[in-house]
Amino acid sequence: MNPLRELTFLSLVIRLLLSCACGTLVGLERSSKNRPAGFRTHISVCLGSAVAAITGTYLFVGLKLPADISRISGQVITGLGFIGAGSIIITKKLTIKGLTTAAGLWTTGIVGLAIGSGYFELGVLGTALVLAAETVLGRLTASIQRRPEFTLEILYNDKTALDEVLRFCKDSHMAITRLQILSLDDNPEADYAAEIYLRGNARPVTLVSRIQIMPGVVSALDIEK
Amino acid sequence: MIPALDAYRDFSFLSAIIRLLLALICSTVIGYGRSSMQRTAGMRTYVLISVGSCMAVLITLFQFEMLQTAWAGTVDEVGQKSDASRMASQVVAGIGFLGAGLIIKAAHQQVSGLTTATGLFATVCLSMAAGAGFYEPVILSALIVVLVLNVMSPLEITFKRSVRNIVLNVEFYDVKDIQRISDTIREQHAAIYDIDVERSAQEGDKYPNAIFILQLSKLNHSHSGMLSSIAELSCVRSVQELIS
Repeated sequence: MNPLRELTFLSLVIRLLLSCACGTLVGLERSSKNRPAGFRTHISVCLGSAVAAITGTYLFVGLKLPADISRISGQVITGLGFIGAGSIIITKKLTIKGLTTAAGLWTTGIVGLAIGSGYFELGVLGTALVLAAETVLGRLTASIQRRPEFTLEILYNDKTALDEVLRFCKDSHMAITRLQILSLDDNPEADYAAEIYLRGNARPVTLVSRIQIMPGVVSALDIEK
Repeated sequence: MIPALDAYRDFSFLSAIIRLLLALICSTVIGYGRSSMQRTAGMRTYVLISVGSCMAVLITLFQFEMLQTAWAGTVDEVGQKSDASRMASQVVAGIGFLGAGLIIKAAHQQVSGLTTATGLFATVCLSMAAGAGFYEPVILSALIVVLVLNVMSPLEITFKRSVRNIVLNVEFYDVKDIQRISDTIREQHAAIYDIDVERSAQEGDKYPNAIFILQLSKLNHSHSGMLSSIAELSCVRSVQELIS
């Protein structure tokens, strides 16, 4: 058995330093992108988890108490879930910010647990995977995002015109996710405005040009939401 | 179970790498679909959480390896107190909390982010199966998750647009107009389950609005037909169907 896996003072120092190093690596990547949790946060989480795991082991191996060596480590995972949930921000436009940071922080905590338990290889491998996910996949994500959802604003007079438009959207394999009809009081040209939220692969330009020439439709517009 | 995989069921560093890679691949595939749909949780989130939960199970296995070898003396002396499922159970709780942070209470009594949270939860659970060396359900359930999250998404929208129960948000000029609106709804042979007035008095430039929960008639359950006939009323400012 490798002596570093035992609870010796040398092994303790190595575990603490290694967890700091792994936390620093992940944290620096986050800091370089100017994300809310920088390297200080990541070092704290990674080091804290490592100490928790070492303590859990020490209760059983060092003090020979009837303790479960995984209980403290396990609660670290729940606790970091709390911290992660708190770091997620809901913006005014009702979108989410900080999720990747929360996920990264959570996984960094588990890296700390691995190192604190003496499973150094897993800790280092985990750090490498976290860094790979943050950098490589981040670039990949930006390249695969398309624009599947958009909103059409249609001004019309006739009730049947809307039915025609909706049928045309369905025939073009667009899913209508939401529909809003607004009655226009001060518009001399049209009585109603409809906002149609669509999802699908058809191009907005093609849809608009076809809808514009439909009878009863005053105008059609692809609007940014 | 598939016997060919038995060689990698024993705990070794090689099998740990295989398990992590399996979790990585599955979460990348699931996350790819979510990213391309521009959902809040993208590939990075899925992969990070998946790797973490796979590692949590591997740590448990490592601890048991240690209990059987280096610490066998202590185990004889004090007794076996460890619970192999403890770490995994806390992963479930931890991701539950993280998911709770993702659920947004949007306007008009709607929530969003629920599918994202549950998708993460399912991914974490299958990553833990990978970490335990229980390979058989991993790929199968990853395929099902991809199917449910991506392929079934347009299906669900189509389904929701054809159901008879609909939720409408109606903006009108005066609260007294609710009577006329509900009369119009009943003229279409629809049943009204609930009317919930969100804003009664005018606040700034906002008009009063109410949420109508209805069941359309069996014969004619066109959503746009109902929306149009409500929008035609002179007292109605806008009408919007709410689909969560």
